[in-house]
Formats: sequence, structure tokens, C-alpha cells
Amino acid sequence: MSEPVIALHAVKKNYQDVPVLDIARLELPAGIYWLQGENGAGKTTCMKVMAGLIPFKGEILLQGKVSSRQHPVQFRRLINYAEAEPLYPSFLTGRDLLQLYLNTKGGNPDDIRAISEKLGVHLFVNNPVSSYSSGMLKKLSLLLAFTGTPALILLDEPLITIDTRALAVLYDLIREYSAKGVSFCITSHQPLDAEELTVTGTLKVAHKNITLS
Amino acid sequence: MRTTSAILGKIFTQRFYIQNTGFFLVLFYLLFGVVNSANLLAYHKGLMLGFLGNYTFLFLVLLLWTSYALKCVGFILKTFQLQGYDFLYPTMGSIDRSARRMIWLRLHTAIYMPVLVYVAITLVVAIRQGYYTQAAIIGVINIANCIWPLRLYERKLEQPDVIFFTGNLQRWLNRHFTKPPVLFFLYELFTNFSRRIVSTKLVSAGVLWLTFLIMDRGGYFDLRGLQLGVMISVLTHMQLMVHHRAFDDTYLNFMENLPVSLFSHYMRLTGVYVITFLPEMIIIGVNAYAKTTPWGLITVFCTALSLLILFRTMLFFPKMNPEVHVRYTMLTSFIVLFMVLGHYEWPAVLLLQTASAIIFFTKYRTYEPYIESGS
Repeated sequence: MSEPVIALHAVKKNYQDVPVLDIARLELPAGIYWLQGENGAGKTTCMKVMAGLIPFKGEILLQGKVSSRQHPVQFRRLINYAEAEPLYPSFLTGRDLLQLYLNTKGGNPDDIRAISEKLGVHLFVNNPVSSYSSGMLKKLSLLLAFTGTPALILLDEPLITIDTRALAVLYDLIREYSAKGVSFCITSHQPLDAEELTVTGTLKVAHKNITLS
Repeated sequence: MRTTSAILGKIFTQRFYIQNTGFFLVLFYLLFGVVNSANLLAYHKGLMLGFLGNYTFLFLVLLLWTSYALKCVGFILKTFQLQGYDFLYPTMGSIDRSARRMIWLRLHTAIYMPVLVYVAITLVVAIRQGYYTQAAIIGVINIANCIWPLRLYERKLEQPDVIFFTGNLQRWLNRHFTKPPVLFFLYELFTNFSRRIVSTKLVSAGVLWLTFLIMDRGGYFDLRGLQLGVMISVLTHMQLMVHHRAFDDTYLNFMENLPVSLFSHYMRLTGVYVITFLPEMIIIGVNAYAKTTPWGLITVFCTALSLLILFRTMLFFPKMNPEVHVRYTMLTSFIVLFMVLGHYEWPAVLLLQTASAIIFFTKYRTYEPYIESGS
């Protein structure tokens, strides 16, 4: 079995005194994963924990060597996250955010420019995000998730609010990046199109735990 | 059925007067409460004759009225950006242009009315007393103050993303200038909470002005006296710090996924407060450079910045609500005050910096907003 792209060890997450996640061990080899769970099961919390957005107990290892505790910067370089309902300061433009992500995450700006044009983000990238519709915000958030050189991209409900053309582009991107060795973890209440994507495994979030099937 | 004007009046005019009740109460007190009622008419007539008879005074009054017009314009433009008011674009955008201009004019004059009433009385006094040129100037400026905002309202409807008055400049800036993270919070304040930052800075500048005035009147200059004033000036920034935390919690969560070192995050936080306190540092520098050494000024700046940074880092304790925060900041200020009085400024700076760094580096990655559980 190949080295897991991500491994969770004794990961626990509480909101105040309420336990939300309690994952003793979970290791995922490279691939595309569909993260499922009912509303409130903890899918988004799980993704935020993996992305280093919220504190948690335990440890997460990327590619078997990059620890969320010991290498926080390197860890964040290898994992990207697109929120289900992205929220940014109203005065920032898409360009401001893109520049910030490119400056910190790195990666090839030309690749990102190409994705931006495919998704149609270049048309509104100079406008403040306060003028964006939810679909435009979603496209920007998805574009940001492809910056840098990630080993794992977490997409929280990527299928909602974007138009069909952008959806086709997104499927293409996932296939293209997956072929390059990037893994994906995708939450969606809608089934992922089997003709578009071959899912490596399904993750189920229930009873504060995640199981791989 | 209610007319469009009545509904828009409720959205704009009523909200304006309700939101500015405090402002109008203070204004009412200043205009009508500070003078004996028997002398009220004479007082106002004297005031009017005062600015009608002096062009410098008249210029200041016109500036004041135009500032109020700007406040009105800011209110209407900001309403369009509020959550839940998006419906104004399609509804007002569907009204015939000439009818819409009349609506804009009615809405704007309704909130500019306090000035117009005072102007009308002033014009009567001016004409009766033979101040025709001044009356013409006042009339022209106030008509202009009622007309130029209409163009901005129209532009807002056409270009919803324009925040500043000068849309072209903003678009140019957006294309050519990338906002660095250190300026995010200041952008937030200036674009969405301008009143908060302006009032804080005015109070803070007032404290410093009073500090220098007291020392001038006493005919002495003591660095410790200045530091006391600076500490009070720092304390006026408390609400900005709480706001800063709320802003970070709400909007900058995405930054946690960026591969940025803790040290860079700390430098960003420090930078925010260095820039925020820059106007005060300029005021202090201009007023004190001839009275103390450069080293003395550096001591004052370092004390102020160390206090600001520590007070902000204290908010990385999730349960530190504004009330508890005030207690700790007051306690810290007293300790620092006694150290300053005993000429232990640099040990105080060192202690403050050490405490800030320890809190930040231990708390930043584990910080999570605390949600009060309902009883």
C-alpha cells in the first residue's frame, strides 16, 4: 500500500464542551474521496481541522512526514481548502486574494491565470468581493484552492451555486490535478458524477468518527 | 397603498434620524441649550452676523455644512451596501430616470433639512442686513450641496461595487495595487466603520492636545507626563481592538490555511498597530521634538506600541470579553504607570513585549472564538 497522503492520529475536536470529532486513526492513500454525512455530522469541521483552520487535539501527518504540529507552515503549503460558503472582507478584490495566495502558497501564476480564464474569474477579479454573487465567490474560492503545489485539496460542497460550464471545468481540473498526483477530498450532498470522476473511496462522517469504505 | 417615496423615506430618512439621535441631541444642546432662553434669538442672530461679516468664519461654517452634506451622502451610499438592502438596486433601478432624480432630491434634502432650515433663516438675516454677496455664496453652496450628491447616487446604482466617491480612482487602485494583509483591518475601518476610526482618532488626538496644553500652561515638560497622556490615548483604542478581533474571527479565517509562519503573523499584528498609531506619533513628534531627545521620543513610542500590542494579544484568550478586557488593560496600565513614574520605562517595555510575545506564540494557533452558551 502506498504512503498515505494524509493520516489522522487521535484527532479530537470539541466546540466548548461538546465533542464533535473523535477519530482514533484514519489513513488515506492518494486518490479522490467523497466525504459524506448528514447535516451537522461534522464534515465541514473535519475539513477545517484537516486544513489547519481550527485548533484540535491529536496530530495530522501529510505524506507521512509533514506534521500539523511540528511543521505548521509546510503543512499548510501541502493542503488547500475551499469553503462551502466562502466569506472574505468586502473591500478585498479577487486579485488581492489571488495575489496573497500566490505569494504565500507559491505555484505557477500562469497556471492559475489559465484556470481563472476557464472559470471566468478574470472577468470580475478586479472588483471588490462585496459585488460578487454567491456563484462568483464560489468560483474565486475554488480557484484559490488550486494555488501553490498542494498534495491534498479539500473541496467543501463545490458543486453548489456554480454554473454548469464551471462545473465541467471543475471536473476537468480535478481529473488533471489528480493525474499529477494531487489528492482530493470532496463533500457533497449531491452524488459526484461517476462519468466525470472515479472516486477512490467514500468517507462517512457519523458518530463523531470517519470511516472509509 | 404606500407611495414609493413614503417607503424610501422609511428606509433612508427615518433610519438616518433614528441612527443619529445622539448626534442631533448634542447639536441641539450646543445650539439651543448653552444659552439662556431669553437670549437665544440674540445669540443666534449674533452668530449669523458673525459669520456673515467675516469671510474666514463664513468659510468655516460652509465647510461645516458641507461636512454634514458628506455625512448624508455617506449614509445613503452605505445603505446600499448593507446586508438585506440589495433590493434597492433592482427597484430603484427600474424607476424612470427623471422620477428617480426627484426621489433622490427629496431623500437627500430630507436628511440635509436641519442645515437648510438654518440656511433659510440666515438668508433672511443676510438680506435684511445687506450682506448680499454672502447670501449669494451661502445660497449657491447649499444648492450645490443638494445637487452634486444626486450624481453620486446615480453612479452607485450603475456601479454597485464602487465604495469610494471616485469610482475611477478606486478601479485604478484595484487594478494596480494589491492590499497587503497588514492593511486589511484599516481598510475595514475606513470603508465600513469610518465613524468609529475617526471618532477614536479625534478623542485620542484630543487627549494628546490636552496633555501638551496642561504641560504648556504649567510651563514645564516632563516625559512621564507625556507618557501618561499617551497611555490614556492608547486606552481610547480599546473598542478598535475588540473590533479587530471580531474582524479577524469573521473574515480572516481563510488566512489560517496559508503557509505563513507565526512570526509573520506577529509582525502583521504589530504592523497594524504601528500604522494605527502613526497619527499620534506624528502629533507627539511635532509637539515634543524640541522639548525632549530623540531617545525620549523613542521611549514614548515604544511604550505606546507595546501597550497596544499587549492589549490586542490579551484578546487571544477566547473568554476575554470586552468587560474583562477593560479590567486587565486598566490593571496593566496602572502597573506600567508606576514603572514609568519610577523611570523604569524600558523594563516596562521589555515586560510588555515579552508578555505579548508569550501570549501570541502560545495562543495564536490554538485560538478559537468563544461562543457564550445560553443559560
